[in-house]
Amino acid sequence: MAVTKIFFNARLKVMMALAAAAGAVIALRLVDIQVLRHNAYLQMAERNRTQVLYQTAPRGRVFTADGVAVASNEPAFSLYYLGGNKDPEYLERLAHDFAPRLRLPAPLMLEKLQLGAKSGKATLLAENLSTKSTVALQELQLYYPGIYLIEETKRSYPYGGFASHLLGYLGSMDDRAWRTRDLKMGYRLNSKLGKNGIEKKFEKELKGKDGGVYLEVDYRGRVKSIIEDKKWAAGSDVYLTLNFAVQKAAEEGLKTSKTGRGAAVALDTRTGALLALASAPAFDPNIFVAYSDEENPNQSKKINEYNLAVQGIYPPASTFKIITAAAALEDGHLDVDRKINCPGHYDSGPRVFKCWGTHGPVDFFDGMSNSCDVYFYTVASQIGAASIERVQRLFMFGRQTGIDLPGEKAGNLYGPTRRARNKTYWFIGDTLNLSIGQGELLVTPLKMAQFGAAVASRGNVYRPYYVDKIVSNQTGKTEQVGKTEILQKADLKPETYDLLFKALKYTVDNGTARRVKIKGLDVYGKTGTAQNPHGPDHGWFMAFAGLPGEEPSIAVAVFVEFGEGGSSAAGPIARSMLEAYFGLGAYAPKPRAAEDYKELLPEEHSHGGV
Amino acid sequence: MAAFKTVSASGRSRMDYILLGAMIGLVIIGALCVMSAVNSFSLANGVVRTHLVALVLGSAAFVAGWSFNYQIYDEQWKAVYGVILALLVGVLLFGSYQRGSRSWFVFPFFSMQPSEICRVCTILVAAAFLDRRGRRIRDASTLFGLGCLLAPVFGLIMMQPDFSSVVVTFPALLVLLYCTGVNVFYLGLIGLFAGVTGFFTITWTYIYLHPELADYWLVHAFYELAHNPWYMAGFSALITLAGYGAWWFFKQLRIFLPSFYFVLATLVVLAGLFGGIFVDHQMKHHQRKRIETFLAPKSDPKGAGYNVLQAQIAMGAGGVFGKGLFSGTQSRLGFVPERHTDFILAVVGEELGLWGTLSVLGLYLLILWRIIVVAYSSSDRYGYLVCAGIFGMFFTYMLVNFGMLIGIVPVAGIPLPFISYGGSNLVASSLALGVVQSVYARRIKA
Repeated sequence: MAVTKIFFNARLKVMMALAAAAGAVIALRLVDIQVLRHNAYLQMAERNRTQVLYQTAPRGRVFTADGVAVASNEPAFSLYYLGGNKDPEYLERLAHDFAPRLRLPAPLMLEKLQLGAKSGKATLLAENLSTKSTVALQELQLYYPGIYLIEETKRSYPYGGFASHLLGYLGSMDDRAWRTRDLKMGYRLNSKLGKNGIEKKFEKELKGKDGGVYLEVDYRGRVKSIIEDKKWAAGSDVYLTLNFAVQKAAEEGLKTSKTGRGAAVALDTRTGALLALASAPAFDPNIFVAYSDEENPNQSKKINEYNLAVQGIYPPASTFKIITAAAALEDGHLDVDRKINCPGHYDSGPRVFKCWGTHGPVDFFDGMSNSCDVYFYTVASQIGAASIERVQRLFMFGRQTGIDLPGEKAGNLYGPTRRARNKTYWFIGDTLNLSIGQGELLVTPLKMAQFGAAVASRGNVYRPYYVDKIVSNQTGKTEQVGKTEILQKADLKPETYDLLFKALKYTVDNGTARRVKIKGLDVYGKTGTAQNPHGPDHGWFMAFAGLPGEEPSIAVAVFVEFGEGGSSAAGPIARSMLEAYFGLGAYAPKPRAAEDYKELLPEEHSHGGV
Repeated sequence: MAAFKTVSASGRSRMDYILLGAMIGLVIIGALCVMSAVNSFSLANGVVRTHLVALVLGSAAFVAGWSFNYQIYDEQWKAVYGVILALLVGVLLFGSYQRGSRSWFVFPFFSMQPSEICRVCTILVAAAFLDRRGRRIRDASTLFGLGCLLAPVFGLIMMQPDFSSVVVTFPALLVLLYCTGVNVFYLGLIGLFAGVTGFFTITWTYIYLHPELADYWLVHAFYELAHNPWYMAGFSALITLAGYGAWWFFKQLRIFLPSFYFVLATLVVLAGLFGGIFVDHQMKHHQRKRIETFLAPKSDPKGAGYNVLQAQIAMGAGGVFGKGLFSGTQSRLGFVPERHTDFILAVVGEELGLWGTLSVLGLYLLILWRIIVVAYSSSDRYGYLVCAGIFGMFFTYMLVNFGMLIGIVPVAGIPLPFISYGGSNLVASSLALGVVQSVYARRIKA
C-alpha cells in the first residue's frame, strides 16, 4: 500500500506541475493581451463600436467688394450605410429599394453596399441630396436601421457662372490631391477641394474644419446612441475687389455680343484693383457640386476653362495708336495742329498701305478720333519704329501683367530692337504695321486694361490684383491680401499725357468711340479692329473714365473675338460697364416706384379687389 | 459497506472550505458576468432567471454529491453505467434537434443536456472499472477493457453528434489512466493514435480548404488516401512494412525489444490512419473552418476567425482594471458572439480586466490543487481515482476555455463551469465537486 502511495504521489505531482505550468503560460499571455497590447485592442474595440459620419464644413464665402456673396453654401444631405448588417439578402433589398430614389443603377448601389459591408465602416451612398428628395429617404430610413441620413452643406454659386474664371470650381479628391493632403489635414475620400481659381488658391483658408457625428453602433450596425456631435467650423471668407455690377455688365454684354466670345476687364486706375474680369464663354461651377446620378455623372462634365482675358493674345490694332501718338509727342517733333492729307492710302515705296477710309486733311485730334491710318503711317515714318518700341517697353508690352492667375500669356513686343535680336531685318512696312498695332504685336485683354489704367493714371503700370482681404469666421481676424503695386512708371512728359487725354476724350465725344459717350462723365477711349486673316476681324475697345473734373477712376478693355467692329461689338459692353460703375444710365438708382411695392401689398389690392 | 452511510462527525472538518470558497467565488463572478453579458438581450430577464434557478439546482446537486458516500458509485457502477446508456439512447430517441445535433431533452419549463451529467458519470464508471483491475492495472488488457466499456458511450455521443463533449471527456480519462498507474508505453500509444489521427485530419482539412494545393501530384495522392480504397490499402501495406523494417533494424543493432511492441505500434498507426479517415468523413464545413482558423488566425478575420478576434479585442480592451460591469462595449453591443456561454471569459476580461481573468484562473488553479489534496488524502483507491478523473475534467475545461481565447487551442464551444450560462453544465460540475467533497469528508482517519 505504501509503495503504491508513493507512486501515486509522483504522478499526482506531475499533474499538478502540469496544471501550474499551464496556469503560468495562460497568465503570461493574459498579461500580454490585457496589459501590453491593451492600447491596440482598445482602439480596435473603439473602432468596432463607433461609426463616424463626417459633416463637411461650410466653405468660406466669397464676396465682391460691394458685399455680394458670389460663392456661398446651401444645405445638402448625405446618405450613409453603417456597414453592420451584412446579410447579402438585406443588402440586395436595400439596393433595390433605394436605387430608384437615388436615381442610381441598382447593381452599382449593391456594389457600394457590399464594399461597405466588407469594410464594416460607414459608407457614403449618395451626397448632395436636395432637401426635397430626402423626405422619401427619411421614411425609408425607418425601415432600414443600417441607413443614416445626415445634414451637410454644399458649395453653391448663387449667380451661376459669375466670375467663374476667377472663382474656379470644386472637384473630388484624386491621386494627385492625395499626394499632398491626407486625413490629418482634414481630407477624406469624398472631400471636395478647389481645382481652379480662388477655390484652389485659397483652399487652405476656405476649407473649414469638418464636423462629425460619432455614433455608437452594435454589431449589426444599428445606432445605439450618439456619442459626440462635433460641430463644424466654417472656413474663412474671401473678399474680392470685383464690383458686382461691373462684372455682371461685362458678362451679360459678352454673352449677348455678336459672337458670344471675348473678354472684358475693368481696373481701378487709382489702385490697380480688378473691378471686373470676364471671359466668354464662361461655365457654371455649380454643376460640379450638384447631385451626381446615373444620367448625369459629375466626372463626365466638361467645362470651358479657357480664360480668354489672360490667355488670349491678339493684335491690339488701332488702340495701339495711343502708343504711336505718345511716342510722337515725346519725340517733340509732332505739331499737333499740322494737317496731314489722307487720300485713303499711303505709298511707302515698295508697297501701298491702305487706310480704312478717306479722311482728307486731318490734324492730330482728327487722326485719333477717326483712327486715320494714314496719319499714323506718316507720323511713324517720321519718328521711326525704335521710339515706338521704347514707349511700348515703358508700358511693359510683351510682359505679363503679373496678375495672380494661372497660365497668363505675356503677349509679344514688336519693334526693330526685338527684330535685331532675332537676327532678321526691319523694313519700312514693319514700321507702318507697328504704328497701327498690327503685325507681330500681341496683347491680352488684361494687358490692354492695364495699359488703359497706366495711361489714365499718367504712367502707373499696376500689377492687377483681385483679392482684397480674408476674414476668418472663427476669430474674426482680417488678413489684408491685395495691395497696390506699381510695376513700372511710364515717365512721359506731362504735356504728352495732357494731349493724349484730350485726343481720347475727343475720340469719345466726336469720333469712332462715340458709343461710350456718357452724360455726366468724362470718358476717354479708343476703338480697335484687329485684322484677322483667318476670319472676321476682332473688335477692341479701350476706355477710361472719371467724374467730370476729377482724375479717371476706372479703365476698361473689351475684346470681342470675330466681333468685326471695335465700336459696334465692344463699345456697348464698355459703355454698360462704365454706366454700371458710376450708376448711370440703365444703372441709375431708380426712384422707388409703386411697382416695387406691389409684391408687398396683399393680393386683393394688387388685383384691384373683387 | 452500508449503502447510505451518512457523514459522521469525527471531530474534523467534513468539508474542504477552500474548495467550497473557490467554487462560490467562481459562481459569483459567473452570475455577475452572465447578467452583464445578456443585459442587451431581449429575453435578458428570462436568461438571468434560468441561471439563478440553475444555481439553486446546482447547489442541490453539490449537497447531494457531498452527502452521498461516493463508494456507492463503485459498488453500483453497473447501475450508473445503465443510467448513462439510458440517458444517451433516450436523447437520441426523444431529444430535440437544435443547431445540427440532437443533444437536448426539452421539458415544459426547462431543457437539459444529458451529455453533461454523463461526463461525470463516465468518470465514476471508468474509475470503478480501473479500481477493479487491481494488480492487472499495467496490462494492455486494462486499456482494452476500458475501451470496450466506454466505446458505446462515445459512440452514442458521436451519434448526436457532440464533439465538444468528447473533447472534454477524453483528456479527463487520459489523466485518470495516468494517475491510475497505467503503463506509460500504452498511454504513449494512445497519444500516438491521437497524434496520427490529428495529423491526417488537420492535413486533409488544410488541403480541403486550399484546393489549389492539390495540383502537386504528391499532395493529390495524399488527399486521395482519405477517399480511394486502393490508396488506403497501399498505404497500410507501406506502414506494415515500415513496422517490420523497424523491428529488423533494431534486431540488427542488437537492441532486443519485445516484438509485440512493434506489432502494437504498427496497429496503432494504422488505427490512427483509419480514425483520421473516419473523422474526415464526419467533419462539417464549419468545423474545418475552425481548424483552419486555429492554424492561421489572421486568414479570415471577418469569417471564421471573427469570434476569436473579437473575444481577444474584448479582453485586450479591458486592460488591467476592466471597463466595469455592464460597461463592456464589445459584449454589450454584440461583437463577441456566444458571450454568455462559450466566450464568457471575454466578458470577464473586458469588464473586470486582468484582475478578473487572473481571479478566475487563480480560483481554477485553487480548485485543481484542492482536488489533488483530496485525492492524496482519500481513504481508498476509488476515491483517489474519482478525484483524478474530476481533476482531469476541470483541467481540460480550464485549458480549453483559456487556451481558446489566447489562441493556443482551437475553438471548441465548451462552457466554463460555474461561470458560463448553462444549467446542465452547472449542475454536473457542482455534482462533480460535491463528489470530491464526499471523498474529503471520508478521508483517512489518522
